[in-house]
Amino acid sequence: MIELKEISKFYGKGGSRFQVLKNLNLKIEDGDFVVILGASGSGKSTLLNVMSGLERPENGQVIYDGADITELSDDKLTAFRKHNIGFIFQQYYLLPNMNVIKNVRMGADLAENKEFEAVIEAVGLKDKRKKYPSELSGGEQQRVSVARALAKKPNVLFLDEPTGALDEETGRQVLDYVCKLQKQYGFTIVMVTHNLNIAEMARTVIKMNSGKISEIYTNETQKTAYGIGW
Amino acid sequence: MRRRKLLMGLDGEYMVIGIKDLAKLFAITIVSCCAVFVCSLFLNYNIDVADIKNAITTEQGLVMYDALVASGKVTAGVSGGCLVITTIIMLIFYIKNYIDSHGKELGILKALGWSRLNIAKHFWIFGMSVFAGTLLGYIGAMAYMPIFYEMQNAEELFPQLSPQLHFGLAILLILLPTLFFMLLSVAYAYLKMKNPVLHLLKEVQRVKVKSSKCENEDLPFLADLRKSTVRSRKIVVFFVSFSAFCFSAMTQMSMSMKDLASESFAWMIISIGLILAFMTLLMSLTSVIKANTKTIAMMKVFGYSQKECSHSILNGYRPISYIGFAVGTIYQYVLLRIMVDIVFANLSDMPEYNFDYKALIVSLVAFVLSYELILYCYSKKIGRQSVKSIMLE
Ligand SMILES: Nc1ncnc2c1ncn2[C@@H]1O[C@H](COP(=O)(O)OP(=O)(O)OP(=O)(O)O)[C@@H](O)[C@H]1O
Ligand SMILES: [Mg+2]
Repeated sequence: MIELKEISKFYGKGGSRFQVLKNLNLKIEDGDFVVILGASGSGKSTLLNVMSGLERPENGQVIYDGADITELSDDKLTAFRKHNIGFIFQQYYLLPNMNVIKNVRMGADLAENKEFEAVIEAVGLKDKRKKYPSELSGGEQQRVSVARALAKKPNVLFLDEPTGALDEETGRQVLDYVCKLQKQYGFTIVMVTHNLNIAEMARTVIKMNSGKISEIYTNETQKTAYGIGW
Repeated sequence: MRRRKLLMGLDGEYMVIGIKDLAKLFAITIVSCCAVFVCSLFLNYNIDVADIKNAITTEQGLVMYDALVASGKVTAGVSGGCLVITTIIMLIFYIKNYIDSHGKELGILKALGWSRLNIAKHFWIFGMSVFAGTLLGYIGAMAYMPIFYEMQNAEELFPQLSPQLHFGLAILLILLPTLFFMLLSVAYAYLKMKNPVLHLLKEVQRVKVKSSKCENEDLPFLADLRKSTVRSRKIVVFFVSFSAFCFSAMTQMSMSMKDLASESFAWMIISIGLILAFMTLLMSLTSVIKANTKTIAMMKVFGYSQKECSHSILNGYRPISYIGFAVGTIYQYVLLRIMVDIVFANLSDMPEYNFDYKALIVSLVAFVLSYELILYCYSKKIGRQSVKSIMLE
């Protein structure tokens, strides 16, 4: 279980200092599928970064199964991410001088996952495996970044706008694959999206408004990637 | 960060060099200052000393005079052969690498419609930092000259020399390098922007996809990373090995000088040699880090430990730098040997010159310490930065 207690995060210094996350409290069950909705700039990406231990909050605790990760040293935090966290960034962040296979292996090797080829195939990049990021379209890069995170077999998968650059068909395909793997491995999903339809796939939906959680609700039934509108 | 860098405009003009880069310009200033300081001192002295040959009357004075001129030639030759050439090459590569790594900014500006010359001309600032350095070096040398002259003639065997101002020398040592680097930077940026906008934006490093056919799919990520970081950044590799070469040559040469020149003189060369050596090493390792920060940051996000990151990325450069160090050792020995043999050839009490093992050991220890220290500091620094700020840099 992930538990956030009184999380505050500030950016900027002096007069331009402002609070991006305002005393957030949140509980996420293991194996849950959480979608975070909210206007641009409301602090969704920041929340994801804090939750996954990429950034430290100024205040509050991020507790994984009883252990507060905000108290870990940098090295311990890195080790924690190695075993637990998968991350898909809004801006992809692929390694520019490595081809698709190597980018995916970056995640796969950490979990000693030998089936990285299957992951690449599942996101539809089989015939682009030898290409470098600069030779791929935006959506293809996004799928590499998805494959890279999935190949790591994380306990918690954080996705920041994973379908932002994808067309309907490819978007559904990628989401479907993520869900299929979740059924298989039972990891937790925390996804940020602007697509309201995707929220219907989630069990828990969190709405954010200028650094606060304005609403949380649970879907009784979850739709599949092919069952939602787009 | 990017926005600040791009928008630091004057009168609506966009600048490519931001405040953050001023520190790097300062490195250029220090390096050129050191080189010019040594050169102006020696060259000025050699010019002045040539004028007094006729004034010497005693036999002993003439012998002393010849020895003095000879050792002046060795030191000036060495400072010319080593300090200046290495400094020039170092600066050229530093500037090239700097402009290359800002291809993205250049691409954005070009995409927005700025003309090539309009953007490229901003890089004249490199010339200015060279100017600041050479000017400082020259003034410093001028200030130090009376003391230096007196030391050289401590035994008063020939008429007292007073330093003369040689305008030609000033122009040669101050204006020429300034103009050279100014034109070079602008021209290089101008040529660089001949590339299509998209190439610049995507930072297409001409990854030699064909030549790296040894691409082994079975190779684990870390092993492949070690190979590809070194392979895909040939320029950085050259830079690192060259700076190790400089470090080794400069420190050992300046230490060996102790036997060939007066003591105070040797100390001056040693300290300047050390400063220069450290600066060049710092500059090249900065480029190494710069070329790899993103990879390191991303690896840390995924959970690769500090050790794994530095092992597979930074360690790749280590063998190369040691090779550079070894070549530098040989180079300085051969250069000094030749200089001593030629210049002191017709001198009766020719100074002994043998390979200086002590200098080698001291230099090697200093090298290893600085190398590891710099890398350690950088990897700590990367650890403190947020992923976002690194990736968007
Ligand atoms: N490193 C930073 N320094 C200063 N301000 C920041 C930084 N990162 C984010 N912000 C600010 O914090 C706020 C929240 O940013 P965040 O990236 O979390 O938004 P978001 O909800 O993910 O928006 P979007 O949907 O557009 O991705 C924004 O107003 C942004 O300007
Ligand atoms: Mg965001």
